[in-house]
Amino acid sequence: MTVAAGIGYALLALGPSLSLFIAVISKKPFLILTVLSSTLVWLMSLIVMSALWRAFLPLKTAAWWPYTILILTSVCFQEGLRILFWKVYKKLEDILDAFADRVSKPRLFMTDKMQIALAGGLGHGVAHAVFFCLGLLTPAFGPATYYVEKCSKIPFFLVSAIIALAFATIHTFSMVIAFSGYEEGNKVDQCFAPVVHLIAGMLTLTNLAFGGCMIGIPLLYCVAIVTLVHCGKMAWRRLTESRSREGNFSNSQ
Amino acid sequence: MDGGSILETIGVEIIGVMSPVSICMFLVVLIVYSLSSPTTSSDNQQVIRTAANLVYLESSSDTTTQKLEGALLNALVFVLLITLVTFLLVILYYYRFTNFLKHYMRFSAFLVLGSMGGSIFISLIQHFNIPIDPFTFSLLLFNFTILGVISVFSQGVPILLNQMYMVALGIIVAAWFTKLPEWTTWVVLVALALYDLVAVLAPGGPLKMLVELASSRDEELPALVYEARPNVGSRSGNRGPNLGLLLAGFSDGDPIELRVMSSSEDVVQNGRGMNEMRSENEEIDGVRGVEIEGETLPLMGSSNERARPVANEEIRESNESDRSRVLERRTEEEEERGRGIRLGLGDFVFYSVLVGRAAMYDLMTVYACYLAIISGLGCTLILLAVCRHALPALPISIALGVIFYFLTRLLMEPFVVGTSTNLLMF
Repeated sequence: MTVAAGIGYALLALGPSLSLFIAVISKKPFLILTVLSSTLVWLMSLIVMSALWRAFLPLKTAAWWPYTILILTSVCFQEGLRILFWKVYKKLEDILDAFADRVSKPRLFMTDKMQIALAGGLGHGVAHAVFFCLGLLTPAFGPATYYVEKCSKIPFFLVSAIIALAFATIHTFSMVIAFSGYEEGNKVDQCFAPVVHLIAGMLTLTNLAFGGCMIGIPLLYCVAIVTLVHCGKMAWRRLTESRSREGNFSNSQ
Repeated sequence: MDGGSILETIGVEIIGVMSPVSICMFLVVLIVYSLSSPTTSSDNQQVIRTAANLVYLESSSDTTTQKLEGALLNALVFVLLITLVTFLLVILYYYRFTNFLKHYMRFSAFLVLGSMGGSIFISLIQHFNIPIDPFTFSLLLFNFTILGVISVFSQGVPILLNQMYMVALGIIVAAWFTKLPEWTTWVVLVALALYDLVAVLAPGGPLKMLVELASSRDEELPALVYEARPNVGSRSGNRGPNLGLLLAGFSDGDPIELRVMSSSEDVVQNGRGMNEMRSENEEIDGVRGVEIEGETLPLMGSSNERARPVANEEIRESNESDRSRVLERRTEEEEERGRGIRLGLGDFVFYSVLVGRAAMYDLMTVYACYLAIISGLGCTLILLAVCRHALPALPISIALGVIFYFLTRLLMEPFVVGTSTNLLMF
């Protein structure tokens, strides 16, 4: 029974990512490599952050401001890393295009670029879910469950799985948005990812209050849905644009 | 539109190596995880004696210095033993005792699958209360073992089966190695990574000599090596030849078994248990054979064909003509199939040992170590593409794995647990 519960929590957090992985990523080896490397980047960012904060933990105070600073610094650091990731990707894209020319295959399509961005985001999201939810699941397979005092209605593992799902969604799709923002030079899209990330992080601060998770989690899901819708719109717009451009191109020939 | 995308073609080989390694690590973690559940960990501390802890047996009451010294001694002895055995192997191979080596590998595969695998199966059966009677079990185990022995060097069996058994061997040995005491495990892993570096790269290193010897003779390495080869062609294209090869494999299999029976006694006594025998030859071969085999014979592009003559020297004359016919038929496919990356079984084992050891602490360390090892493997493969000669696969991965394990354990765990028990995430 507890094993079933543990697997259930894991699938709740990672199920959508898993199906995305199987449906889109697993057929293309390069995307798998992208997922792995972006997971590694996220893990390293987490290690660096924990090294910085190691001296101050565990926080003794019940005050919320140290946690605010913690989330603020972590989000800033990770968003800085996202820009770095984009720069590396840009270099990689040139290499890939050169390679494609050499083996006389077509260069990267726009869908390919978006898939690479999706793989990068998925790596971040999976890493988040793995380290913040799955890593703590070990006791969930044992013969008991655990409740946090501040959110006493729902088991801790379930709450963390639900939150991890929201964050995995946000991470996955905000990467796609950010990459297309960088590529088109669209300032709104560029700022969208950091802002969403920061809002989502700050929303989890509500969990510090008694019963705060009842308010925080729905709001978090609102943010996730906004990200999803924005990403969908953007992808749709770019796809139709490129299709019409292709259409014009073939018409003019 | 999707058909031509280069995303599908880049990295196929890398994934071809990474996926079996991942499967191996995943299964080892599952085994370790289910067998060392908290209820049993206190009472069954039966320590096994292997080559890796000959000198010193760790007990939890020892001081840190004692543990460290003992672990260092253990690692030294282990690496010395492996070096000795590897040199022995090189000497045997140099004087063309190839058949002896192959049969020895088959024999050790038999022992590993039969006895070590058997004991792991038994403990799994006990743990999960699976109702099975001894006769059925031994029959199944025997069949499993024999099929494994057949698949090790006879190239007639489908490559998929061969790959599966390689992974199975890796899993069994690694699951066994995770029973080593903690300090010894870490020191032995680091020592092996260093040894690997020397043995493959230094002039006069035993593994370097072995690989060079094998490539100068255009033969398969007389070692247990995982080959990442596309297995699509072999399954669809040439069913006829494969059947013939399977038969050859069988006729080859019989004498081996007889030999095993006669030689098993002295081998068992001279080893302190097959465990170390295993580990040694794993190491040996295992040790390293990452090697791109693109540059092989023009006609016999596939190592499949190259290995076969060596494996069944006895029946070589008899079906020489048959073989050449088969060869002609297969030449074309071979050009596509001949390329593949080979990874020694020892790498599988020690990667999995690291992950399995991490699994005894927490799941979080498992993920960190997995990512570190896989990225180390990726780096090694990229280096391989640059250098184009055999490279040691352990050093980068093990170094990254060990670093990430301790970073995770010392730094990240308190941080993550601290924030996420407050339900703070970002």
